Amino acid sequence: MSGNTQKHIGRLSQVGIYLGKMFRMFIYQNDWKVLPMSAVIAGLVAFVVGSNLFVTQEGTLLGTFALSCICIWNGFFNSIQNVCRERAIIKREHRSGLHISAYVAAHMIYQAFLCLCQTVITIGVCMYSKVNFPSVSYITPIALVDMGITIFLTTYSADMMSLMISSWVRTTTAAMTVMPFLLIFQLVFSGGFFALSGFAEKITNVTIAKWGLTALCAQGDYNSLPMVSLWNAILKMRNVEYDGIKPIQEIMAYIENNNYREELLLKCAEYNQNAQYASTSSNILGCWGILILFIILYSAIAVVGLEFIDKDKR
Amino acid sequence: MLTSEVYANVRLAVLWIITSYGYYRIMIKCAHPQPKLAFIPIVREYQLGITARREKEGRTLAKLEIFLYICFLLFKILGQESKYIIIPTVFVLAIGFACLIYSFRILSGLCGVFGRKKRWLWLWIFFEPLTSIIWGVDKKFVPVLKLEIIDDPGVGESGTLVSAVDNGLTVNITKRTVIDFFRKKYLLKDIHLNIPAGHMVLLLGGSGAGKTTFVNAVTGYEQADASILLNDNDLYKDYKEMKYDVGFVPQQDLMRENDSVIRTLMDAATLRLPESVDRASRRERVMQVLEEFGLSSIRNSLVEKLSGGQKKRLSIAMEFISDPSLFILDEPDSGLDGVVARGLFEKLREIADSGKIVIVITHTPDRVIDLFDDVIVLAKDSSRTGRLAYYGPVEDVYGFFGKESMEQILLSVNQKDEGGEGRADEFVENYMERARELAVGKVG
Repeated sequence: MSGNTQKHIGRLSQVGIYLGKMFRMFIYQNDWKVLPMSAVIAGLVAFVVGSNLFVTQEGTLLGTFALSCICIWNGFFNSIQNVCRERAIIKREHRSGLHISAYVAAHMIYQAFLCLCQTVITIGVCMYSKVNFPSVSYITPIALVDMGITIFLTTYSADMMSLMISSWVRTTTAAMTVMPFLLIFQLVFSGGFFALSGFAEKITNVTIAKWGLTALCAQGDYNSLPMVSLWNAILKMRNVEYDGIKPIQEIMAYIENNNYREELLLKCAEYNQNAQYASTSSNILGCWGILILFIILYSAIAVVGLEFIDKDKR
Repeated sequence: MLTSEVYANVRLAVLWIITSYGYYRIMIKCAHPQPKLAFIPIVREYQLGITARREKEGRTLAKLEIFLYICFLLFKILGQESKYIIIPTVFVLAIGFACLIYSFRILSGLCGVFGRKKRWLWLWIFFEPLTSIIWGVDKKFVPVLKLEIIDDPGVGESGTLVSAVDNGLTVNITKRTVIDFFRKKYLLKDIHLNIPAGHMVLLLGGSGAGKTTFVNAVTGYEQADASILLNDNDLYKDYKEMKYDVGFVPQQDLMRENDSVIRTLMDAATLRLPESVDRASRRERVMQVLEEFGLSSIRNSLVEKLSGGQKKRLSIAMEFISDPSLFILDEPDSGLDGVVARGLFEKLREIADSGKIVIVITHTPDRVIDLFDDVIVLAKDSSRTGRLAYYGPVEDVYGFFGKESMEQILLSVNQKDEGGEGRADEFVENYMERARELAVGKVG
């Protein structure tokens, strides 16, 4: 085969080769473990925050924050070591004609499969734990599918972000060192749970957590849910006494006896609505769009990073 | 308020000048060729690293200082009252700590250069200006190790190109350079040779002699200022197509452990064989290669279950699958016992006998030297550039170097600080002379 001028297989066929390798890795190299791990994490979170998720404003904010955290955690763990652990092999294969874009595309398909499985598992575990999922759909005819798409996109964005990191760092140790920083950044700058203002608030726009959390809150009709924290605070003060009278207890009794409690909780929520969580299809689609943009951006950066693999020292 | 700020700045400037002067004198003592660089921030750190024989650390410290200055600039831009001042502050703390660690390492190296105890480090860290002045000015502080500056131009160039052979490999490397931290480094220079098809060639050279650089240049993977012709085809010009005609087997067995032997070869075949080869022919080729490399009986085993020798054969088979004309192997015998290694080299001999060019790097050549046709000896000359010290038949190499074994030849060209005889320049010159004579002889 001297003077080889014949055409070799293109990117599409290479994607097939690498997909095969990845699924074999799923079976033989314990990559499957990420699936039961996601079930355990979802179970723990559902146990802790599930009862008030999509029931009250506070419970929804806390629960969707926790749900976003699960997605980001799962996504990060899926692929943080996948590329860097076989960097030397990729370098050899690149020398033999591997197209980096085909390699990353194969990873994208494989990781999409993992994220989809994790989404199904997370929703399944939450349903089993009696989490009260919203029944109103905004984009697809089924509300649970809407929820699934958000969870999938959040997980997949985080997955692609860690794939990007894995493509740029040279060792698994470096990857595992960077990961906690990214995770804490996502959590702190999610924009929902921690009050941020000014420049710090602007930073939230670049986090996956913010858009995942916003979409989940919008789907959970956050602004229409009752707010209970004020009522709970007042309840704790019911025995406060002035001149032998307990005014707070009297007011509470009045509210309870006239069935004004629910109305008051909703009124309270009305004053604490967040325009960002507006339950509209355009808002949800906007969040999904940004998450998809992240996915495209991270995978493109991963390709660029790996194109420099030949510069790796021996 | 203003006065105290001015005073603080003047104090800082004076301390900086004192420290720089101290370093300037230290660099003079260590025979640094450009001691004045001690007065240029950032550059000083790198040069000090070189002086302290800690070049890598010096380079990192210089880079860190660039970031540190950027953070200080941000500090100035934002102002003390800004609520975002926390961002550069955190970075200054983190980078500052890293700078301290790297300074510690460099100064530790400096203690070694001056033959002083490590306890001096504390003085260096807490009273840097004073210590630098003492070490720089006091005549009691004399370096025990002088800086080795390689300003030797090395051996001259032959400039004689070899003409292309119809059936074989023609290498004409003028030079291979890299820019390393603003400095141009010559990795290889003036290597011209012809390897006919069917030859098995030993590539011999000490550490840093440029074996890997040579291999990468020849395969076109890292292109040099060169012309590489394989069977009269320009490898650099047509690299995209020609790369499948070159097989490179790395030192490590870089394969996925969880794949089976046959799957590994099937995937390698799909990647390396032309698209026109149908599935059945591909499978047939895989079966043929499995048989040829004695891997048929273990074709369904996972790679992780294979022995060292089997893994090596599989790694070679992966490259052999595309039937390349040029086959290069980097230490294929590493980690293998003598018998297995011998068997492997005999297999390589068979490959060469089938009309291929096989180039092998090995650190234990003497046990298999009878299987080779030619030897390439690469050596670092006095300018630390990889040069061709010999290329020719195995029978002549011993006479050329006046040695009895390949190991002795390697020792003769290795630098003295590597335990060798440091005669690389002599042999490079002798070889150039011999090559010229051969060229004249041919013309005559």
